[in-house]
Amino acid sequence: MKILLMGHPNVGKSVFFNRLTGANVTESNYPGTTVDYTKGWMKIDGKDVELVDVPGTFSLDPKDKAEEVAVAMLHENRGALVISVIDASKIERGLYLALEIIEEGYPLVIALNMRDVAEDKNILIDADKLERILDIPVVSTVAISGEGIKELVSRVKEAKPVDVDDIISNATKAADVGAAGDVP
Amino acid sequence: MTEESLPSSPSIAGIYFALLGIATVASGLAELLLTASGSEFVYGILEIPGDIFRGGWGGFVVLSAGLLYLSGARNMVDIHQFAKVVMGSILIWIIAGCDIFAMIAESIPGGEDGPWLNTLSGFIETYAPPYSPAVLLLPFSLVVIYYVRKRVFLEGGGRNSS
Amino acid sequence: MKLSAEERWDLIDRISKETVTFGAYRHTLTDAIGELTIKPLTGIPIAIAVLYGFWSLFGSFAGTLCTDGFFVKFFDGYWLPWLQQVFPGQGNWFYVIMVDAGGIESGEFVLSESSFESFGVLTSGLFLAIGVVLPAIFIFYLMLAILEDIGYMPRLAVLIDTMLHRIGLHGYAIVPTILSLGCNVPGVAATRILETKKQRFIMMTLLAIFIPCGAQIGIMEEVVPDLIGWIMLYLIIGYFIFGYILNKIVPGRAPEFLIDVPPYRRPLARNIGKKIYGRVTGFFKVALPFVLLGCVIVGILYQMGVIQWLGGVLAPIFVGWFGVPPETAGPLVAAFLRKDLAVAQLSTIEMTEYQMITSVVLVSIYFPCVATFAMMLKEGWKDLLWALAVLAVVVFVYGGLIHLIGILLGVA
Repeated sequence: MKILLMGHPNVGKSVFFNRLTGANVTESNYPGTTVDYTKGWMKIDGKDVELVDVPGTFSLDPKDKAEEVAVAMLHENRGALVISVIDASKIERGLYLALEIIEEGYPLVIALNMRDVAEDKNILIDADKLERILDIPVVSTVAISGEGIKELVSRVKEAKPVDVDDIISNATKAADVGAAGDVP
Repeated sequence: MTEESLPSSPSIAGIYFALLGIATVASGLAELLLTASGSEFVYGILEIPGDIFRGGWGGFVVLSAGLLYLSGARNMVDIHQFAKVVMGSILIWIIAGCDIFAMIAESIPGGEDGPWLNTLSGFIETYAPPYSPAVLLLPFSLVVIYYVRKRVFLEGGGRNSS
Repeated sequence: MKLSAEERWDLIDRISKETVTFGAYRHTLTDAIGELTIKPLTGIPIAIAVLYGFWSLFGSFAGTLCTDGFFVKFFDGYWLPWLQQVFPGQGNWFYVIMVDAGGIESGEFVLSESSFESFGVLTSGLFLAIGVVLPAIFIFYLMLAILEDIGYMPRLAVLIDTMLHRIGLHGYAIVPTILSLGCNVPGVAATRILETKKQRFIMMTLLAIFIPCGAQIGIMEEVVPDLIGWIMLYLIIGYFIFGYILNKIVPGRAPEFLIDVPPYRRPLARNIGKKIYGRVTGFFKVALPFVLLGCVIVGILYQMGVIQWLGGVLAPIFVGWFGVPPETAGPLVAAFLRKDLAVAQLSTIEMTEYQMITSVVLVSIYFPCVATFAMMLKEGWKDLLWALAVLAVVVFVYGGLIHLIGILLGVA
């Protein structure tokens, strides 16, 4: 099995990579630190799994060479599982890329990273509800300090491909429940 | 509730940082003028540098620090104003930090014909005055840390209660 | 099933309505400071302060403390005299290459007095690599790592955006440029974050020509500390002049740039340590063999008389066009192989300050080092050939221009 770490630039993919594999990929606080992919090995339930740190990309429609590397990496690994790393303080843009990858049929896990930054900005995310709507594991993390990494690893095997239609109907259902709940 | 405790202290702080700003602007201007005239000035424990890098560029930074103090000293309750004061202090820390680090770098080795490490008296001698204006301003600029801590404390309290 | 972009945004909108609550946005002190570092009026003085600090600490640590404080003493006082004594075959070709080329004074072979003048692999080569370059690279990467992890780099990019647009690049080009000040190899790799082929070509060419690496800067700081400001000024001016020209003549687009400015963060010592270790060892794996091999090759070519011969042939150009003394021809030719060694060599030749500035600038804008050359080849041989063509023109034109400026100023 192969796992790809994907997400926007500067959401902390390399931090995850180093945490998960014990490798030494350069981490910085600016977008575009990783311009080429790096492979490493991690253990899930005692099995060796290959993990790839993919350069950041905004969408599957590449704008520069680093993004081309990212998209090519995804398309070359049809059987791979994707950990979609999302900056929790910019969740909407992150979900766009995640949805694109879901639509292509890849099994996905979402890591809502930088929860601390989002909290500083007073943004609160209901991860459980998001998980119910998307029907894939959603884990809140602060990769720099290691929070949530264990949970992420333990839930990687729950990743599965989902149909966007199901997500749409889940979202509609959730909205109905929410509306019903508002009525006293 | 948190706002009530602020007004009295910032006015003292405002006066303090305005005065510090004036002193800092004066130091920066002195460094720039001396650099332009190509000389150096030593008086008591004060030594104003006059070479192009330290006096010219460094002087420009000290002057900027002073201007940041002056423009931030009014209405320091406002976070943007307060940030200017903090930034002014950070600029002084950069210049003073570099001056002090230069002294450290000089104090450790024993010199061209001396032993590997400096003698104890030679080591201490390096740290004797005169100092540059930025180093003399350094202790006064540290006061800003007190206000940062105070503000973070108040803000933290404000967030929990809201 | 696939959605259109619009349907996708619509879905995201519905999802986030259900799961995300946005509280009132409050400015924290970090945010406010972040804004100050981006607004030009306050941001530019802050940027100058940061660069000032960078340069000052670099000089104090690498120059005063490490090189002058300890390494010069060790290499000149102990290592060089010891090797001169124990290495067999004084004066023969192998001794000359490995230890000391010495000099001929009144027909007699005399030993060099310092590791700057001996030009042996084990003396000058090791001294430059360990005594000068290692501390320079170390402190450079330490400070760079701190700036990177705090999150200052994107702010610098936003500040300098307007200026870099004039040369067909955008603010983000500051990242490869600053990385190149450490070593051009990662700098060239970082050009991949630029969007178009045109931008990558301009960036790579400018990096290879005008940005001296940490090794060169370290050596300049050591041998010509008073002139380094002028040398850097000429390089920066060249970077913009030729960037402007390249932008006009290279076909292609230079799009706007969009960047996320991340919040300031407290850097973690562990990450900084790891980064410095990785970069310094990386640099030495790539650079040290080249430094030593370069010394060997330069030594052999000197022994065979190739460099003297080439120097003699090219001397009229150097003297007439660039206005530097004929003795510099040798080092300037050798600079094709080893720029750092050439700078050290130049510093031992007697000439006017302006001639020194000219010749060191020439060495800097010469052919990129072998490692950079290989990296550029990896990014595409066509671009590399074009970059070399540009380089040849630039060396000739800019060298002449500097000479002309000198004449006009009355100093050359």
